[in-house]
Parts: sequence; structure tokens; C-alpha cells
Amino acid sequence: MTVDVPVNGTSRREEIEPRMLLVHFLREQIGLTGTHIGCQTGQCGACTVLIDGEAVKSCMVLAAQAEGHEVTTIEGLAPAGTLHPVQQAFWEEHGAQCGYCTPAMVLSTVALLADDPDPDEHAIRHALDGNICRCTGYHNIVLSVRAAAQKVAAGAVPEPFLQR
Amino acid sequence: MSAPVAIGTRTKRLDAPQKLNGQERFTADLKLPGLLHARVVGSAYAHAMVKGVIKDAALAIPGVVAVLTAADLPIAPKADGTPGENPLVEDEAVFSGQPIALVLATSDAAAEDGVGAVEVDYDPLPALMRMSEAMAEGAPMVRLKTSEVSDEEASMHNADAAQDSGEERETLPPNVSNSIHFSRGDVAAGFAASDAVVELSFTSQEVHQGYLETQVAMATVEPLGDLRVYTSTQAAFYCRTRVAETVGVPLHRVDVVPMPVGGGFGGKFVLIEPLVAAAAVAVGRPVLLQFNRMEDFLAANPAPGCEITLKVGATKDGTITALESRMTFESGALGGSPLQIAAILMGGYYRFPNLEIRGYEVLTNRSKMGAYRAPGAQQGTLAIESVIDELARELGMDPMAFRLQNCVVEGDARPNGNAWPRIGLRQTLEALEAHPAWQGREEARAKGRGVGIAVGGWPGGVEPATAVCRLDADGKMTVVLGSVDLNGTNTTFSQIAAETFGLGAEDITVKTASTDSAPYAGGTGGSKVTYTVGPAVQKAAEDARQQILSIAAEHLEAAAEDLEIIDGAIRVKGVPGVSVSLREIASMSMTVGSRFEPVYGKGSSAITESAPGFAVHLAEVEVDELTGETKVVRYVAAQDVGYAINPASVEGQIHGGVAQGIGWALYEGMHYDDSGQLLTATLMDYALPKAEYVPPIETILVHVPSEHGPYGAKGVGEPPSIPGAAAVANAIRDLTGLRMTDIPIRPERLAAALDAAETARTASAAD
Repeated sequence: MTVDVPVNGTSRREEIEPRMLLVHFLREQIGLTGTHIGCQTGQCGACTVLIDGEAVKSCMVLAAQAEGHEVTTIEGLAPAGTLHPVQQAFWEEHGAQCGYCTPAMVLSTVALLADDPDPDEHAIRHALDGNICRCTGYHNIVLSVRAAAQKVAAGAVPEPFLQR
Repeated sequence: MSAPVAIGTRTKRLDAPQKLNGQERFTADLKLPGLLHARVVGSAYAHAMVKGVIKDAALAIPGVVAVLTAADLPIAPKADGTPGENPLVEDEAVFSGQPIALVLATSDAAAEDGVGAVEVDYDPLPALMRMSEAMAEGAPMVRLKTSEVSDEEASMHNADAAQDSGEERETLPPNVSNSIHFSRGDVAAGFAASDAVVELSFTSQEVHQGYLETQVAMATVEPLGDLRVYTSTQAAFYCRTRVAETVGVPLHRVDVVPMPVGGGFGGKFVLIEPLVAAAAVAVGRPVLLQFNRMEDFLAANPAPGCEITLKVGATKDGTITALESRMTFESGALGGSPLQIAAILMGGYYRFPNLEIRGYEVLTNRSKMGAYRAPGAQQGTLAIESVIDELARELGMDPMAFRLQNCVVEGDARPNGNAWPRIGLRQTLEALEAHPAWQGREEARAKGRGVGIAVGGWPGGVEPATAVCRLDADGKMTVVLGSVDLNGTNTTFSQIAAETFGLGAEDITVKTASTDSAPYAGGTGGSKVTYTVGPAVQKAAEDARQQILSIAAEHLEAAAEDLEIIDGAIRVKGVPGVSVSLREIASMSMTVGSRFEPVYGKGSSAITESAPGFAVHLAEVEVDELTGETKVVRYVAAQDVGYAINPASVEGQIHGGVAQGIGWALYEGMHYDDSGQLLTATLMDYALPKAEYVPPIETILVHVPSEHGPYGAKGVGEPPSIPGAAAVANAIRDLTGLRMTDIPIRPERLAAALDAAETARTASAAD
């Protein structure tokens, strides 16, 4: 079947098998590998993307279901060579370790802050319950989300970083 | 030494941006022309003879290219001429999910369709899932065709396991693959002299490392026949040896490319690489295999379950007199149990004048067992730290004071007779004792909370390592290594090299190279990378610095000892304006006709004495008396880290270890039914700690410098994952009066214990 899914602001018209999941569409069909797969059953949250601004696990959605909805992946969060304020906060507060859950954590944070610009610790932990991290014990992730909230509230914009 | 410029400061991970913006390439993100996706046909039975594999229906599926069985793989004989270890079942499957065949297809979806169409003809055999059954007299064998069990990997994680325990060999029960015996003094006399004795029995369940990126590897055969393996491994050189041996390709024709690891925690030394490499050779095309989560639960290498009975006695004045224990550790069907280190730590935190430990590794029809962050330490520590806590209560002593009175210091012996080197256990206990959470424990109790503490220690690992440090054409420095960066060690190495040159960490690039070109380093495990590779980096940077100064001295016509490097330029001390930049040095040493040799520093280390690290944790818990649910509401982790080169990274390790300890304590456990089917094979059934189940974590860094580590640093990865289960169990005991000895302490277990205690109370009130 043919689907037309708007990803990161660009229409992606592709011929796919009807059973194809959105996560496979993103990774295999259009090569956006920043969306990761960790469990296939909707628990770990490593495949989280934004659909119309809501955090959604892309292993739980058929690509066909995303047709006509705006999909944002980690690659589309900030212009190339820059980091979104949420990404900057995760960098500064040491919120990433191995990096496997990280893109999804960042996107879940973006969705949280859109709903609740000033979340307290409880709200942050509750909002991130669908994203498992095995490295950080969540401590620095919570600090990162708090820092991100401040940056976003202060009107921070994407900033360039040194690519190594 | 002048004030440090790069070390000792919180330094942002240099590789974080690509992890944050989705540009990091993990193994499964790679694409090669002609790539085939592999999926595993796993055994439906925990124990069965495989009589045949029918491939026709699978091969008829569009996209399926091949179905490989053991006979199709090019497996080289061992050095002694005996058949090599085949990564696919040859005839006897010994655990459920054990790979029998590999379906290769042009897409992952087609390969998965193929798996469903492969027919396997089985002759089921009895499965032995419990150690007691397996060890019983006359028990059937877990494996009809026995072969040796290898403990090679255990020695990579800690210095103690690298030595034979030297015990006498007793006649062993069936299915026991290994035994240990440690003995000191006269245990009977020790108990006779004691005023209080506590004896408890503990069980720990099998626990999975829970890395979010499942096992993944891709292999390709280069045009001239060389093999290249891209893999999420912690140990590139070990992986190369295993691949070369399995497939029978000379070592120099195998290149292992260590990819970013999406969580390893000990479970990613080598597992599927020999299989994937053999498959690539068999079909002459690149092959990628990534376990799905269920395959990873079934056929990877989790931490074993165990049973420990432990008895400790002490006199009224709080002096420990004796320890006696019997330990049985599951070693799965293929081995891999950390029994020895569990025993050494269990009997190693305190001074035991009399000691007797017997331990057995028992085969069962479960997957291979492997290393999980401080392998063996959690289980042994749960036992000793629970018994010590209970004994302090029996004696009416403060549990902190009792530990301080008996804890080991430098020179005290471990159960294997080896003396502890310089350690910081006492200092770490004292650091936690002074913390407001311990000082204010009565206030916590008044709020309906329990407070528990526990110790955890890790011997540390050692292995020789080499590093190089070169000056590049742009005047920047690059360090090249063979060690895998799991959680920030390359940033730490940037800091170490930067310190030598008076530069910032961001001015030094650290690259982990593939085995074709990398200088040797051991696997990233056992808390040994910073400790052993760090000194090599330091020496390589110093070597490069001397070469730079020597060129500059000749160029500036000054003595090398009169030079200094400031802000990327070499200056004559006290003579402003006379300088040469690193970029100019690079140009003078790397262009046609240059008279200076290129700057290429190298440094090596072969430290043989490990630097043990100790952690002492405090957990504050609340328990829902109706549901039995335990919530950890406050957590303090004190740890002797020697010296924190990057405190942010060290704290991050502690945070992660604490969360894993809470997982051991309350949530994680792999359950099998009696026939050997895994009941917890997805993340729906296997509970990893989520953000709401982990409290904020307060850290205390203690600095008892190591003798050999860079700037006194010690390994920090393992210790923080060790005390959690015992600290939480002790906190539950403090709050409820119940001594929970089986982990995980799931709500149903605690609710049943609370009910039983209530029933007993009611009954005794009625008497």
C-alpha cells in the first residue's frame, strides 16, 4: 500500500507492507535511525516520537495510522548542528549515559513541557514512567527536565554545538 | 603538581551531542549492500533431542534466502582437534529458546515469517529447573552430552576470580559443575565462644542485565576473505579471539569494530558474534542479527539465581567469632556462575577469625549465565549484610557501630587468604554515619519509615593496556585506544590527556579504534577501564608532551626544561613573545622534507594489584501494609572512588547502580515454569525500575587514593549496584520487624509475610 506520512515537516510518500509499524517505517523506510527499538511491546519507550505533539510509542502504531498526522522524530527537533533547549539541558545536567533511551527521553520531555511548563519532581517522574533508562537511575534525567523547563520558559532557542 | 586544569571538574560528556540528537550510530542502524537480516529459531523445549529441521516452507517465503542449521556453519575444530563449539544446537537442546536454526532474509519481517515456517522435530527430555532436583541422588543429567564449563569470562571482571580457589575436590552430586571450599580457623570453636548466633537462608532469582539495546552484531566477509564484525561489545579483543577460533579464520584476518553500546552491564562481552560471523561466512553476504526482547530474555546470559545459608556468631562486646555458609549457584545449562567471588565478598567485608564456606555451581536447563555488574556480589552481599544487621539487633548494638567495629582494613584477609590492599571501607562507613539521613533516622522512623544500611565491595579488575597520543595537523591531540567507552570513560581520558598539556578536555579527541589498529586493552568490565587504561593514557600524553618539548627546544634554541605549554603554545618560561604553537610543531613534523619526527606518544600499563572499591548505602522505605508494596523514598550512597576525575560521570555511575540495586531488591526476577518455559520473557512481565520507583539519590564521594590508578582513581562502576538489596531489606526489617530473605521482595511476598505475622500475633494474643 502507499502511505503519505508527514515526518519532520516533509511529506514522505512510500510504498509499504500494510503491517509495517511506524518505528520500522522511520528506521528502515526513510532511514531515521535516531528512533530506537528496545522491547517491541510498548514498555521501554525507546521508540517514542511525537505525533501531533503527543509522545507516542512508534512500535505501537502502524505506519498507515500515522497518515495525515505530523510526526516529529529526534532528527527533526532542532536544525542540523544545533541542540534544542531540552537537548542542551540534558547535556549540561548529564542526563544521557549510553544514549539508547536518550532521544525518546528528550521527546517525552518536549511533550511534557508543552502540557506542563513547570513540572515538579513528581510530575516529571510520572510523565517519564513510559521511558525506561537503565543507566542513570533517572536522577540526572529529572534534573535535566527541570533545567529544560527553565530554559524553555526563558525563551531559549536551539544553539549550535561543536560536532566532534 | 600545580592546580589541576582539566581533572577533578564536572565535565560534560564530549560524545553527548550525537546521543542527544539521534546521530549516534548503533550497530542496528548500520546498512551494508546485500545485507541479510537474521532471526533465530529457538528450541521450544528446555531439554530435547532435535531430530530434524524442515526448511522447505520457510525457504518458499519471499525474501527468505537461507535457513542455516548447525551443520551449515563453518565451525573450526579446537586446537586439540576435538570439534569446535557450534553456536547452533547440533542434536541436544538444553534450554528453551536455545538457537537451533538461523533464518536469513532480505528484511527482518521476512526473516520473522521464515522462523514461523521452520519445522523442528523434537524428542523431548526431562527438564531440570530447580537446583535441589538437579543435585538429588540419581537425578537425570541436565546435558546428556557433557562438555566442559568455561569460567574464562569471570576472570575478566575481577582479580580474585582469575586465581584458582585451590580447594580440594570432593565427590560432587549430579549436575554440579564446580565447587569451592574456603576454610580458616575452627568454626565450631568460634560458635562455641559466641554469645549470639544468627542463621538465615536466602534466595535470589535470576536477574537480567536489562540493557535497553538488545544483543546485536553484524558481520561481513571482505572481498579477500577477511571478516569484519560490527558489534555492541564491551570487549573487542576478546570478541575477536572468540570469532577467529569459532570460524577458523586467522586472528589477523578478523577485525572487530566496537560500536556504541546501548547498555552492557557485563552482559555484552561476547555472545552472538561467533554465530553471526559463521553465518556471514556460510552465505558470503553481510548478516545482521539483533535479538528481539524475548530472544534476549531466553537466550542471552543473565545473572544466576542462588540459595545461600549463612550463620554468623559474635560475642557480647560485638566481636565476630565465626562464619559458616553453604551456597548453591545456578550455572544454567552452559555454565558461567560467579560463585567464587560471591563467597570471597560474603566472607570478606568483616574480620572472621573462623570461617567455613562451601559452595556449588549447579547445572539446570536454563540459558548460559553471565556477568551482571558486580557478578555474584549482590547475592553474597544480601546474605552477609542481612545477617550482620540481624546480629547487631540480637546483640542490642547499633548496626553502624557493629560494622565499624568489625570491618576489614588494609592487611586483613579475604576468605581465599589474599590480604585486602589499601581500602576505604571504614572511611566510607564513617562518611555515611555523619550524613543527616543516618543522624536523623529517628525522625524518619517517626514518619513511619524504616531505615536500613548495607555495605558492598568489589575487588576491582586488572589487565594490561596500551594507549597512543598523537599530534594532528591542526595542532590538536588525538588519543587512540582499544577500550570500549560504556559510560563516559573516553571523556575521562580526554581530561587526563588534557591535564598533561594544560589544555581543556574538549581539545583532546579520544577514539576507540577497531582491533585491526587499536592498541590493546581489556574488556570494559570489572571496574577496571579508568584504573588500567587511564595510566596508559597519562603516560602516552606525557610521552607526546616530551616529544613536543624536544622539537620546540630545538626550534626555539632553548633547553626543554625551560619550556612550558600554555594555551596550545610552547613558550620559554619568563620570556614573553618567544613561542611556537602546537600547530606549527605539527607542521614542522608532518610535511615533506620536515626534519622533526611526528609526535606519537605511547604509554602502557600492566598493573597487577587491583584497587577494591567499597560503597555503603542507606535506604529509607515506606511499606503499604495492605498491598505489601515497598517504596524507597530516600537513598544515600557513599562510595570510596579514590579520586573522581570527572565527578559528574562518577555520580552518574552511582545513580545508575543504585537504581539497579533497587531492581534487585524489589522488582526483578526471571520465572520459569516446571517444564522450563520462561514466564517473564517480555518487559510486560519482567519489571525494570521506572522513574517513579526510584527516589532522588544523594551521593557522598569518599577519596582514599589508590596506589596505581590515575591521580588515585579507583574503578567506580560495580560497587554502587551491590548494597541495594540488603539496604532495602534491612530498611523493611527496621520498619516492619520482618526479615525478608528472598529477593525480589515483591508486594505479594511481603503482604504474605505481614499477614502471617499478624496471624501469629492474633494467635499469641488469644493464648
